[in-house]
Order: sequence, then C-alpha cells, then structure tokens
Amino acid sequence: MTDSKPNSTPESSYLWKNPLTAWGTATANAEAPSIPVPDPATVWRESTTFKVQTYLVGRLKYFIVWPTHRKATWDRLRWWPTRRNILNIRAHYNPKTDVSEKKILDRKPIYWLFALVALLLGPLIFPDNQMNALMTAGATFGVFAAINVCWTLIIGTAGIFSLASYAVVGTAAFVTSLLSVKYGVPWYVLPPIGAVVGLLFGALIAAPALRLDGFYFALLTLGLNELFRVFFTTSKQFGSASGGLYGADSFIMESWAPLTQSMVAYYSSLGLLFGALLLFRFINGKQLGRVLRMAPEKREAFAAACGVDYRRARITIFILTSIALGFIGGFYAAQYRGVAYAIFDFHTVLMGLAMITIGGIGKAEGAVLGTLMVIFMRDVLIEWGSWRYVGIGMAMLLVVLFLNNGYFGIRRQFAAWRSKKRGEWRSTRAEKGGEVLPEEATEISDKDSIYFRRFDKMQRDYLKTLISPQIIDEHRAQPLGQHSEALERVLLYFRRSKMDDKYALHRAGPQGPFKIIAFSGVRGVSPRLVDDREYPTLSDAYHAIFMRRVHDLMET
Amino acid sequence: MDIAFLITNAIVVASIYGLIAIAVSITWSSLGLVNLGYGFIFSVAGYAAWLVADNVSSNPILIMGAGILGGSLTGVLICLVVFIPLHDKPAFTTRGLIATLAISLIGSQVLLMMFGPTAKALPELFGRWKLKMLGMTISADKIGIVVCSVLMLGIVVMWMRGSRRGLEIRAMMMNPHAASIVGIGIRSTGIYVMALTGAMAGLAAVLLSQTYYISPFSGLTPLIKGVSIALCGGLGSVQGAVIAAILLGLVEAATNKYLGGQYVLITQFLFIIIVLIVRPRGIAGLLDKAREQ
Repeated sequence: MTDSKPNSTPESSYLWKNPLTAWGTATANAEAPSIPVPDPATVWRESTTFKVQTYLVGRLKYFIVWPTHRKATWDRLRWWPTRRNILNIRAHYNPKTDVSEKKILDRKPIYWLFALVALLLGPLIFPDNQMNALMTAGATFGVFAAINVCWTLIIGTAGIFSLASYAVVGTAAFVTSLLSVKYGVPWYVLPPIGAVVGLLFGALIAAPALRLDGFYFALLTLGLNELFRVFFTTSKQFGSASGGLYGADSFIMESWAPLTQSMVAYYSSLGLLFGALLLFRFINGKQLGRVLRMAPEKREAFAAACGVDYRRARITIFILTSIALGFIGGFYAAQYRGVAYAIFDFHTVLMGLAMITIGGIGKAEGAVLGTLMVIFMRDVLIEWGSWRYVGIGMAMLLVVLFLNNGYFGIRRQFAAWRSKKRGEWRSTRAEKGGEVLPEEATEISDKDSIYFRRFDKMQRDYLKTLISPQIIDEHRAQPLGQHSEALERVLLYFRRSKMDDKYALHRAGPQGPFKIIAFSGVRGVSPRLVDDREYPTLSDAYHAIFMRRVHDLMET
Repeated sequence: MDIAFLITNAIVVASIYGLIAIAVSITWSSLGLVNLGYGFIFSVAGYAAWLVADNVSSNPILIMGAGILGGSLTGVLICLVVFIPLHDKPAFTTRGLIATLAISLIGSQVLLMMFGPTAKALPELFGRWKLKMLGMTISADKIGIVVCSVLMLGIVVMWMRGSRRGLEIRAMMMNPHAASIVGIGIRSTGIYVMALTGAMAGLAAVLLSQTYYISPFSGLTPLIKGVSIALCGGLGSVQGAVIAAILLGLVEAATNKYLGGQYVLITQFLFIIIVLIVRPRGIAGLLDKAREQ
C-alpha cells in the first residue's frame, strides 16, 4: 500500500462481513474494513429502464365505444332494398373483457346529417334584423354549393381541370331565360331544357378535353369563359342593356309575402344542393368514381393496361356533370327570374375557385364548406367593403400555400407530418442499448446469445466501476488466496471467460521464467505467444495476466 | 374598312399580346408555374407608369421604365410569395395556379382601394406624328408600339441566348430536374425569370395604355389574350408564340373585315381549338419539343 491516493477512507467506510459467522464456523474475524463495492443492481436498473420520453398522444384513432344492444348487436340499418349499410359499424366482443361493444368506423354520414338538419332549421334561428340578408345568402349558398359540388366532380373525380363550369350554368340560364321571356315557357320546363343545353355544351367542350391534357385545358376553358361573356353581352337577343336577362317565369309567385318568397327560394335551393350531393355520391362513390381512383394522374397508362377505360369514364362524368350544371342553370333562371352577365365574369370563376379550394378539391364536404365560408363573407359581411374580397383572397392564398388539400385535408396532412417528425425524433434518440443492435438482432437465430451479450455488457459496465488502484495493489501483493469482494468479483469474471483468446502461462524452464500465451480456442491449433516479455516468478506472471485482462476490460 | 389598316392594327395588337404570351410561355416552361397573376402585374405596371407620368415627368423613357420596373417588381413578389414556398410541394401546378389567382384577386382589390374605380390615362408617349408608307398612313403610336415590343423581344432573346443567366433559364426550360442537379439554383432562376417576364408584361401594359385606360381590372383581357396565344403557340416556345400572335392577329383582321367585330373572339377561339385538336401542344409541337409536364 504505497499509493499516495486516498485509500484509507473507503476502507474505513466499507465493512466486509464474514459470511461464515452466521453459521458459527468462522475462524477469522467476523468483519473487516474493505474496498467499497457498489450495488450491482444499479447497473441492471439503469440499463433496463425505458428512458425514451413517452407522451399521451398516440396514433390510435379515437373511437367512441358504444354498448351494443344484446341480440340486436348484429342488426344493421340498410338502404332499402339493397344490403348496403347506412353506417359502417364494427361490432365485436372485447378480447380483454369479453363484453360485446360496437364502434362507428365512419362517422361522416352522421356529420352530414347534422349539417343538413342545421341548414334546414337555419331560418328558425336566424336573428330578425339579419333575416333578409341571411335568407338571400342562404338561397345563393344552395345554388352555388350545388354548382361547386358538380364542379368538384369534374376537377376532383374526373381530374379534368375545367374552369368553364360557370359558363355552362350561365349559358343554360341565358338560353332558358330567353325561351321563357320570348315564348312564355313555364318554369317547370326550364331545368330540363337547361339540362339539354348543358349536354350540348358539355359535349362541345369535351371534344378538346379528349386531346388536351391538364393545364392546356384549364387555360382554354378560361378563354372560353371570356368568349361566352363577350358573346352574351354583345348579342342583341340577350338584352345587352340591362346587365342581364330578366323576366323569366318563376315558381316563386310575386303575389306571396316577401318572407314566404325567400323561404321558398331558400328551401328550393337547399333541395337543389341535396340533389347535387346525391349525384356526387352516385358518381364518385360508385363504379365511375372507383374506376378513376384506380387511374390517378400520371398512372393512367397502368390503369389502361389493367383494362380501365379511364378516358371514357372521365368524359362520361364530364358530360353527366354538364347535364347537371345545365339543369342548375335552368333552375337558376326559374328561381331568380333570369340571370345576370356577372355569371360569366372572371370574378365569378375566381370566387368559385376560392370556394372549392378552401374546403379541399375533390371532396363534396370541402365544396359545401368553402361555399358557405365564401358566401358568408361576400354576402353577409357587406359592411367590410372591398376588404371582404381581400379576406377571401387571403384565405385562398393561405390554404393553397400551407395545406395540401384544403380544410378537409388537414387531418391527413397532420398525420403525415407527425409520422415524419416521429421518425426523425426516433432516429435522434436511437442508442446502443446492449452489444446487439436491433438491426443485427433480427439476423441472429440464437436469441440466447443476444441476451447473453446484453447481460455481459451490463456486467462489464459494472466491473469497470470496481477497478481501482487498491485492488490492483491487492492483487500484486497476493495473486492467489483470499481477496476483497471487489477483487474477487473481477477475478471470477476473468476466470469464467471463453477459451478462445484466453490468456495462460507458459513455463519456459523447470523453474521459470514464464511467458504469457493465448489459447487459440480451436482444437489442434497451438496457442500463440502474446509478447516476448518474461516473468521470473509465478506471482509476477499471474499479476501480468491480471493487468492485461484489466486493460482489455477497460477498453471494451 | 381598308384591309391594310386592319392588318397594321392586327400587327400592333399582336405585338402587345405577344409579349404577354411569351412571358406566360417562358414562366410555364422554365418554372412549371401557370402564372395567372399577369393581369395583376399588368395593372400594377400601368399604375406605376401613371404615377410617374402624373407626379414626376412626362418623359416617355422614364414612364416606360417605371412600367417595366413596376411589372418586374410585382413579378418578383409573385415569385417570392408563390413560387419559392410552393415549388417543391405536392400538386405544385394546381396550387401555383390557384395561388397566382388569389394574388391577383387580393391585388386588384388593393389597387381598387388605393386608386379608386376611375380609369387613368397615360399621356401619348410617341407624339402625334404620322408616317405615310406604301400608300397608307400609320400613326406614331402604332409604330412606337411595334418598335418597342420588337426591341424588348429582341433584347430578351439576345439575353437568353448570350448570357449565363439566359443559359440557366434555357436549361431549366429543357429539364428542370437535371438543371438543378448540375448546380443551377431553382429559386434564384425563378427570381430572374419572374423579373424578366414581369418586365415584359410591364412594357406591354404601358404600350397597351396608349389605346386603353388603366384600371384595377384592366389586366384581365390582356391576360386571357396572352394565355390564348401562348396556348395556341405551344407553351414554352418563343417562336410558336410569335407565329401564333401573328396568325391570331390575322384571324382578328379577317373576322373584322368579313363577319363583324363581335365575332372576333368566337373565330379566334375556334381557330385555337382547331389548332389544339390537331396539335395538342400547339404550333410549337411542329417546331420543337415542348416541356412535358
């Protein structure tokens, strides 16, 4: 004990207890001051605890779990006479509790029902001083939402970026108004005539759509819109003086009270919206829509190779929707007793584009919500003046800049963003827990060896804390014999090591000197000489091996 | 009406709209951006020129310079707001188109609030002299318009052919992905392209205001005409746009002569539709390979 390092204080603080004293067989002293030994369990605990911070937010979708109705668990509401379910419900027995329960997997129909009921009951809750403005805006909303839902079918489902939807509506409205004004056609014939006009114009516009792709068609339809505007405003038949063509027959009688008139207009346009939604459901949700979901942009060739005639499906949707748009045009003429040139304005197309963009292109709910927002800003917040258009433009710009697919795409975009971030965070906190990395663990068939290596690492981590000048001095003084607990633990580990590359001593002569060798671990292969140093006595050789092993341990 | 008069008119109109068409075309082919904000750039450039003419001086070069500067700054603004944040996002083309439309909506409303709805007129930049040539009289503004736009187009083409930046822009037009791989910055090139095309639209605005008034929404018709010409010529081709501008000018002149003024747009669009049905990539489909998406 020649070291000047503080070696007396731990000896006094740590007491070795002779285990034999408990049996009464101890011949030596019952306890003695010794080198401190930390608790092996601390290393174990430290390397087996889960150090990754966890949050309550998870990827699990939150479903309300409803109790079931016993025998009625398996009953379903169905659309008569088909076997289609109204609600997508999953009923099962909870595997943990064995209690039967059910979850509504798709809650959209319920939200739609609430929204439509709210629209139906709207006039009851409108404030009296705003009643007139809100009813007018509501009627406009119904008609524009119907147009936008149809437009969504063209842009979203069919993938034809047409900007001429309002032109089709306007043309149908002008033609039917003209017929009604000139020849006294009654109001109930106007929508069907409008549908015929829509069919003709749809077919006319569809011809270039077959050849042109994407934005060539968008720019062409933008020009067509302007062409229609100039044509209708300059032609004499369509009354270029009054800013529009008015005087068509209407289902809203002028003899009714003003409130009744606006009520009828409100509910009829809601009915129109409902019809447009049904059309959307039956085109987007059935064969045509499914066929086109198989053939998204830039994968048309693959779909065509699978036998999907996507061109035909697109044109069919385009023409069906044009018929619907023409019908809406006739309805527009019948509701407003005519139509203004403003429907062909670039500004109208812009507003329409804002409506379908804000909610999310390709979704009926997006079109309806966007229309609601834009119509509310434009027709109800009139006192804002020009600022309301700036607001609409800002909403449109922000949505386009920050959202991939409008308001109703936020959820999916957020989920994608979160999973990306989660991956990034996971990669920053990946650490080498044991000797085996997770990647190599899958390649090792003997899982025992994985656990052994993990345990071995923990053990070495612990033993490193035991190596101190005191135990080295102790070993130099007495390589064999009774040792302190710390030295004994280290030596036990060294003795237990594997035979390959295990150190041994080679006696060069009958009395020495000794050299350190290492076993090859392979039968028939002789040991190798580790180095040329010779040790005169056996104790020196023992201590040299010990030091070599200590170095190896500290280096791992 | 005299056919020569109509043809000179057609050439004058074609030279103005041709500038916008080439701007639209270059933007689309190099950046992949369908910029429908040129209407707004047009109005801003017109107002900038008007402000200079009203407050500073009536020197034509100064006024034109103000218009070009205003247009090019607005182009850079659109690039900063739309192109740079969006160019690497999904569905860039659709979103870029809608974003430029949103900017023109906001911008025209702001212009309306700033300058009011009354239209503004620029002074005559080229004087009142007339030139008798080949038995017809051509007024100064027509000659000035044609000379200025041809000059601008010539400078742009020279710059695109001769300079390092022009080489970068042409590389982007050929293959933007490969251009970015060999070290051409997409964003910096975007700023050059938008400044250049904005300057072209600004000059077109000043030239067109010799005939029409400046108002917040006055950019719409030039935009639609320019887009139609660019479509007909094939997006991405300067030669195609020039040919299409001349052809459409001739169609306009012929319609004016034989059918009447109100049928001009109809015949023009029928012409465009026929061209596009025959050549879906426009006239340039005959000349060279246009950018494929």
